[in-house]
Amino acid sequence: MQSATEKGTPVIELRHVEKHFGDLHVLRDVNLAVGRGEVLVVVGPSGSGKSTMCRTINRLETIDSGEILIEGEPLPQEGRELARMRAELGMVFQQFNLFAHMTVLDNVTLGPRDVLGVPREEAERQAMELLERVGVAEQAHKVPAQLSGGQQQRAAIARSLAMRPKAMMFDEPTSALDPEMINEVLDVMVELAREGMTMVVVTHEMSFARRVADRVVFMADGQIVEEGSPDEFFDHPRSQRARDFLDSIRGH
Amino acid sequence: MKTRPPKPQTMRDALYEAPGPRTRKRIALGTAVSAVLVLLGAAAVVWQFYVTGQLSARYWSFFLQWTTWRFLLQGLLGTVQVAATAGVIALVLGLLLMLGRTSGVRPLAAACRVVTDFFRGVPSLLLIYFFFLVVPQYGVKMPSFWMLTLPVALAASGVLAEVFRAGVNAVPRGQVEAAKSIGLSPARTMFKIVLPQAVRYVIPSLIAQLVVVVKDTTVAYVVSYPDLMQNARVLITRYDALVSMYLVVAVVYILINYAINRASVYVAHRTGVKIIR
Repeated sequence: MQSATEKGTPVIELRHVEKHFGDLHVLRDVNLAVGRGEVLVVVGPSGSGKSTMCRTINRLETIDSGEILIEGEPLPQEGRELARMRAELGMVFQQFNLFAHMTVLDNVTLGPRDVLGVPREEAERQAMELLERVGVAEQAHKVPAQLSGGQQQRAAIARSLAMRPKAMMFDEPTSALDPEMINEVLDVMVELAREGMTMVVVTHEMSFARRVADRVVFMADGQIVEEGSPDEFFDHPRSQRARDFLDSIRGH
Repeated sequence: MKTRPPKPQTMRDALYEAPGPRTRKRIALGTAVSAVLVLLGAAAVVWQFYVTGQLSARYWSFFLQWTTWRFLLQGLLGTVQVAATAGVIALVLGLLLMLGRTSGVRPLAAACRVVTDFFRGVPSLLLIYFFFLVVPQYGVKMPSFWMLTLPVALAASGVLAEVFRAGVNAVPRGQVEAAKSIGLSPARTMFKIVLPQAVRYVIPSLIAQLVVVVKDTTVAYVVSYPDLMQNARVLITRYDALVSMYLVVAVVYILINYAINRASVYVAHRTGVKIIR
């Protein structure tokens, strides 16, 4: 790390990644590097492959060819090594995916206890701190179904953070939320970004992108069409695809 | 809290909209008419018993003796022992068969699939004959308890394997993805995340299958195992009282299975599963 450049080895790097779903070419020669502490926001129309790309990073989706490197190491393909790597990468899902049969507290402590071997009391203490931080400490002993969507998603973020990840992926974290709950989740994400977490965020929340992103990546038809700083992208999009996309969401 | 429409409590609520005034009148009329019909039917049955002499004291008086009940209770104990043992074996074996089938190890999955389909497809009576008539020919001596329990358990395990599999399939994919994403191993994902939820989904089916196990034990006479049915047959011969004895035994079986059903509703409530009655 001594000789590395200012940003060092990228935490996440995709090289020439290709993927097909049957005849559908969902990822076309995707190249991307996410530096330490960088907040990368991925935007684009539905079906552009942005969620798929996000999910390839911890191998919830396999790739056909190309390379994925985590801190310069190739992403393991299976077994214990893959599990260990996944434990170091947080993932937040559109549908929250909290474990439905466990309390919120157990959701958060499961990973540290089972994967990292943290003793129960220690894990619960840390979990309560995290739940406090995302503002759902009072819900710790409820099951997910008793929580609102926004509370569930914040608990899910706490569950990921409990693993002390090197980076966090957010796959449309607010898309399943009622409008009044979107901000409570985004606030937590803003806070995380401010603390220097490395983040890949797939989202439709353009104001969040503009406010928080270090870099915006625009995807369409499985390709990265354009990338740049939020100001560059939102104020001076270079490609026609990006202009059309921005026009379509600014319609009102 | 998200507001959801209230969940239906009865089958009626689930299938039909709330009745209007005219429908309510029609329901009231239908209820009255069917009540009368049921009463008439019951009266006809009792009358028929009466004219054929089934209500005469000699068919019922021996139920006043303690020895009759003691013998029946011994049989009941036998039934419960076989059913409970077979139920436990079937649950464990069914679970193993399902795990094998969904393991992704091809030869193992194929073997478990064949075994599951075999036990599911073969009548339990045929399995009992196999254990009673074929197995002893190869020098394997088995008490009649196991000659009854094993085939009943095996037959049920095939069905239970499928029930478990249906439950596992019903667990949303996101649950598994979330487990993977925090680094849980496949085995831990199965035992800590998938199975606990899968079992909750299928508790009603599991209990229904236990009722089938109880009913399967009634072929105990084939291997001369003294279960409730077998002991009832002995009493029938002794007192020459077919109808009264079968009626009483039927009531006992209904009570057992009703108890199992109540237990299932209780367990389902405890685990938060909504059952439409």
